[in-house]
Amino acid sequence: MRLFYRSALWHGLVWQLIGLVVGALFVTVIRAVMGLQAFGPSLFTEPAWVVGGFMSALAFLAGSGALTDWYLWARGIETPEHREDPEGWEKYLSVSLDHKVIGIQYTVTALFLFLVGGSFALIFRTELAEPGLQFLTLQWYNTFMSLHGIVMIIGILVGVAGVMNYLVPMLIGAQDMAFPRLNAFSYWITVPAIVLLLSSMALGGFDTGWTGYPPLSARAPIGMQMFFLGVFTAGWSSILGGLNLIATVLRMRAKGMTAFRMPILVWAAMATSLITLTATQLIGLSFQLVSFQRLLGMGFFDPSKGGNPILFQHLFWFYSHPAVYVFVLPGLGVISELLPVFVRKPLYGYRFVAMSSLGIALVGFLVWAHHMFASGMNQYLQVPFMYSTLLVAVPTGVKFFSWVATLWNGKIETPTPMLFVLGGIVVFLLGGLSGPPNGTVATDLHLTDTYFIVGHFHDTIFGGYVFPFFAAIYYWYPKATGRRLSEKLGKLHFWLFWPPFLALTLLMMRTGLIGMRRRIADYDPGLGLTWYHVGMTVAAFLIALGTAIFLYNFIRSIKHGEAATGNIWNSRSPEWQVPSPMPVHNYPESIEVVGEPYDYGLAGSQYVTFSKEEQGRTPVHGTH
Amino acid sequence: MEHTNEADVLRQGAIVLVFLAVLSLIEYFIAIAIGAVVLLLVVIIIKVGLVMYYYMHIAKLGEDTTGLDPHGYEYKTGTNRLGLWLFLLSDAFVFGGLAVARFNLLGLNRPALNQLLGLTVTAVLLMSSFFMNRAETSMAHGDRRGFIMGMSITLLLGMVFVAGVLGVEWPSAIREGITPSASAAGAVFFMMTGMHALHVVTGLIFLGIVLHKGMRGLYSTEKHWGVESAAVYWHFVDVVWIFFYPALYLIGKSL
Amino acid sequence: MRHIVIVGILVIPTTLLTYLGLSASSLMPLEGSAQALIVDQMWNWDMIAIAFLFSVIVVPLAYSLIVFRRRKGDTSDGVHDEGNIKLEVTWTIIPLLLVTFYAYLGAYTLGETRTPDPNAWVVNVTAHQWAWAFQYPEGFSSTELHLPEHKQVLLKMTSLDVIHSFWVPEFRVKQDVLPGRTTELRLTPIALGSFKVRCAELCGLSHAYMEAPVLVTSPADYDAWAQQQATAFNALLAKGGPDAGKAFVAQNGCAGCHSIDGTRMTGPTWRGLFGSEVPLSDGKTVKADDAYLTESIKDPNAKIVAGFPANVMPKFDLTDQQIKSIVSYIETLK
Ligand code: HEA
Ligand code: HEA
Ligand code: HEC
Ligand code: CUA
Ligand SMILES: [Cu+2]
Repeated sequence: MRLFYRSALWHGLVWQLIGLVVGALFVTVIRAVMGLQAFGPSLFTEPAWVVGGFMSALAFLAGSGALTDWYLWARGIETPEHREDPEGWEKYLSVSLDHKVIGIQYTVTALFLFLVGGSFALIFRTELAEPGLQFLTLQWYNTFMSLHGIVMIIGILVGVAGVMNYLVPMLIGAQDMAFPRLNAFSYWITVPAIVLLLSSMALGGFDTGWTGYPPLSARAPIGMQMFFLGVFTAGWSSILGGLNLIATVLRMRAKGMTAFRMPILVWAAMATSLITLTATQLIGLSFQLVSFQRLLGMGFFDPSKGGNPILFQHLFWFYSHPAVYVFVLPGLGVISELLPVFVRKPLYGYRFVAMSSLGIALVGFLVWAHHMFASGMNQYLQVPFMYSTLLVAVPTGVKFFSWVATLWNGKIETPTPMLFVLGGIVVFLLGGLSGPPNGTVATDLHLTDTYFIVGHFHDTIFGGYVFPFFAAIYYWYPKATGRRLSEKLGKLHFWLFWPPFLALTLLMMRTGLIGMRRRIADYDPGLGLTWYHVGMTVAAFLIALGTAIFLYNFIRSIKHGEAATGNIWNSRSPEWQVPSPMPVHNYPESIEVVGEPYDYGLAGSQYVTFSKEEQGRTPVHGTH
Repeated sequence: MEHTNEADVLRQGAIVLVFLAVLSLIEYFIAIAIGAVVLLLVVIIIKVGLVMYYYMHIAKLGEDTTGLDPHGYEYKTGTNRLGLWLFLLSDAFVFGGLAVARFNLLGLNRPALNQLLGLTVTAVLLMSSFFMNRAETSMAHGDRRGFIMGMSITLLLGMVFVAGVLGVEWPSAIREGITPSASAAGAVFFMMTGMHALHVVTGLIFLGIVLHKGMRGLYSTEKHWGVESAAVYWHFVDVVWIFFYPALYLIGKSL
Repeated sequence: MRHIVIVGILVIPTTLLTYLGLSASSLMPLEGSAQALIVDQMWNWDMIAIAFLFSVIVVPLAYSLIVFRRRKGDTSDGVHDEGNIKLEVTWTIIPLLLVTFYAYLGAYTLGETRTPDPNAWVVNVTAHQWAWAFQYPEGFSSTELHLPEHKQVLLKMTSLDVIHSFWVPEFRVKQDVLPGRTTELRLTPIALGSFKVRCAELCGLSHAYMEAPVLVTSPADYDAWAQQQATAFNALLAKGGPDAGKAFVAQNGCAGCHSIDGTRMTGPTWRGLFGSEVPLSDGKTVKADDAYLTESIKDPNAKIVAGFPANVMPKFDLTDQQIKSIVSYIETLK
């Protein structure tokens, strides 16, 4: 425990509180001096809370020590490129510069957010089990529902960052990311962001959903501002993480790793980062504009001042649609990465799969208005956006067909990671196929803002992110810990997770078509949806049970898992050619790429070599 | 840079400044006389191109690095340079978004602002870019005095710009009834200038640090990434203004 | 080769079964409007594509899992097959053509749902937190939407506060309702019966309850109803006084925020309001007399009642006559 009080996390949190109070008091005093109302119903006034919240994020970063090296740089004091991490679990609470530590910090944070967001879901799912208001007020329902959405989405961004941070440098044979300090900064800024997000519950919550459309968000309680601040700060993690990753892939690849010899996950990570680097700025901007409209009465989205509510939706979705491909591209990359290993066959059509990621990312920039077909946007823009939206199906299809072709004629094994891969493929297929009907204006006018949409995106998100994310954890856990997760519990997890999940989302779509609107705390018994809702709630709890089992497995295996220091999956990629857990600087200098990544079944072929003396273990060939 | 002679490079910088100044005047003329948006755009693109090529050395991104030691200063600088440009690309989207908001809300109208003031601050920022370029060139040729001179003048002009926008332009706009809360036009004006001013201020802090370190002799002909990055960032802020000035002062008819 | 043939054959029945399953379990609600017919047609096309594409992926996947799974003791690898350009191009081109075709279908359908009928009639719709009000050409307004069958209605909709969305599931098409501008929606009811407008855009606390009855009747019945409403309305206007006020309050959905029994809702209760000393948010108090009440209705933000949010109560377009009688109604609520 004493170690904890010395950790960067603890210091950061303490400083965040101090920063909040100082910032808020600062504004309060100024207002008092200017003769304005100094205190509000929720202690401070809105401007005070906003400035306080902003200061609190900076204070956290300063307090945790994520800024120290830059401060020293400004003072002209050189700091070492790499510094030693403390031993044991302590290092995971410290500001480490090692991409593996940061990757794990991200991943654990993502799991935490998944639990929190999931718990919110369990709460309001219980409320929805029958018509009428049982135990939630309207305000709390809206707050839980909105927080569920945004906490889960931030959770995805964090989880994606975790996967990419931990794996990409290993996969390209690098020793670390291009900018280790920036990397640490990108992680640590997410922590105050999460605190801000959750603090909105203490400030009246907010009732706009995760999309925060004005004018509603311009009148919501102060909690709204904390939501804006939280997303804004988390956004910086996304932006800088993407920047770092692109630089890493372009500049740090091992000798001989040409573009088309990169593991497919690296391609996916590049496409993802292109989106986070650029588009994220616009959700930040759109939220900033609403925030200022609230604080200074700037009428960007206020019709009575010549503002335009639709403008917000364009700015917001310009990020938030591409963002959904941020959720899935790395996951689909993981699927493409694992399939060959468990099928013992090369990835079918590697180049097409690699290009499809870029294709999805680029076309994904041109489809945002499909979220606005009913919004009153320009009608003559609807058809072009419909077409561009449907186009995304093409590169996505390429992935599916390649996966099937990879399975074909293989020697398929189904350990837990593979189960999650296969489950993910089916679920994502369902989600994906429910996309085009939304993309077709005429049908979307019926579907929009119903549970059909809710079903659509839970399928895509689970198939494209959640299932692959768990697959990745089951697959690379030994790389990080030197022990493997229990297969028995893993399979149990899967079978508690997959079938109930299918039930959950299919019921969502069904109820949506009949007339179940989104974001309602209570529904008309006349629609006869009660039993569907009971079913969804039960499914939710089964999913939660599966998650709980996974948690137990995850924690228990750290100490008691079966030891696994070698190439247990008999994979070709570089990280498995060195012992687990991964050495601090990953690879000896001499690593070199000499072949194709997925040449399974090609006797004697090699992907990477290390020169004799430093060699970890003899590189494993495709064949046994 | 090593093989070039300082005087030549400095002259080149000066010529570029002259071109930029002339183009700005043409721009202003087009706006008041013809009001052809397309022509304005052409001029803007040319100006941006000049700054990016001659002042920001965008070409350096393409330098081939084969055979460099991946742990050496030169290779690392290449990586840093890439990182900085990626950051600028990202930042450009904020300003892009603001421009979109401006045209979506105001179309081909613009707030009735004080033209003289606008022209003056624009000139000041251009000048500062010129001196920034001098400072960097001097450092690249090991001329510390020239560096300190250039840096100091840049800082000074930067402050004048901020003072001009926040201290003179804002109050005068408010007197004209263009307040943040009065109308969408006011909101757009304050948001765009405010966001840009924020970047100028951070730039000033950055410049201050670099100047201070330079005076302590922490940079050299070979190793002055700090100076280069400060310069590139500063020129970027100038580029943004090359877009924002016409968007706010020239394009469309005054409300 | 054998395998491919088998799978190819398996895909066909699976597609058919999936499609039949989907269309049998009647997914959509009753078809209440001409637009619904068109939308459901498009939906049906989608179902066909989905059934096929689902099978095309899932059947070979399941098949491989069974047939190509690793047998006990077999440690060899699969065949070394890196791909086949022809095949990959094919499965890029075919979906491309498919989506192009569907985009065309979609555009065509959209046009169909929007074809204006020259002699369509107009109803003005006003949405506010959390109620709908409908102004009819006959000059009266109501919280119910009455529509004659087989006659295209053009809804001209606007919101007094935040974004709402007009949706009657049986009519399919949906349209957001924005403050500060008018959005339009064309409907041609084809099924007699009573349905509900369900606000489909999150608009704050009571979004879930923002529903209004829709009655599709025969033209004759509609005319009768409209006549009676219009006369009643004009009578009220002429008569004025508390009863008239009560009716106007009902028509404008004030009850959505104001109780008359003392319970606190979004707005202050009207019970015992008149003549009381109302505490205002700026610390002052004001006597609730005719002048004050009239002002609070005409310009809700002029004086904000302490403990209640500003900019929540919308400005209603009420004639002075109407406001006068509403105030006189509030006076009666001792
Ligand atoms: C993981 C994230 C993710 C992914 C990958 C997708 C993928 C897609 N989404 Fe989804 N979507 C969301 C997350 C995602 N979506 C979220 C979160 C929302 C709600 C936001 C909110 O309002 O809260 C949303 C909402 C949403 C809407 C707005 C609905 C509305 O509110 O009215 C639309 C409309 O066009 C849409 C379309 C699509 C399409 C066409 C795809 C395509 O990319 C799907 C492509 C895949 C396939 C088509 C299947 C496989 C392809 C083949 C087998 C090849 C052959 C196929 C054909 C020829 C068709 N989505
Ligand atoms: C990553 C994204 C993600 C994930 C994983 C989920 C997971 C779930 N979602 Fe989510 N959902 C969204 C993203 C996500 N959702 C978004 C973006 C929205 C839109 C919000 C909006 O409209 O603005 C939404 C909206 C949404 C709605 C619509 C609400 C409404 O419109 O009114 C519903 C309704 O059923 C729902 C249900 C669920 C359920 C049952 C799960 C289940 O899978 C959850 C299962 C439970 C867990 C995983 C938690 C496990 C908990 C334990 C094991 C207990 C221990 C806990 C602790 C120790 C803290 N979600
Ligand atoms: C969306 C909610 C809402 C609706 C609908 C609404 N009001 Fe209000 N009303 C409020 C709120 C909130 C206040 C208190 C804040 C204020 O004074 O503006 C209020 C205040 C008032 C007051 C002053 C009450 C007092 O205690 O001083 C009157 C009178 C009034 N409303 C009349 C009406 C009438 C008449 C209608 C319908 C034509 C109506 N309201 C519809 C929300 C509403
Ligand atoms: Cu009105 Cu929801
Ligand atoms: Cu989308």
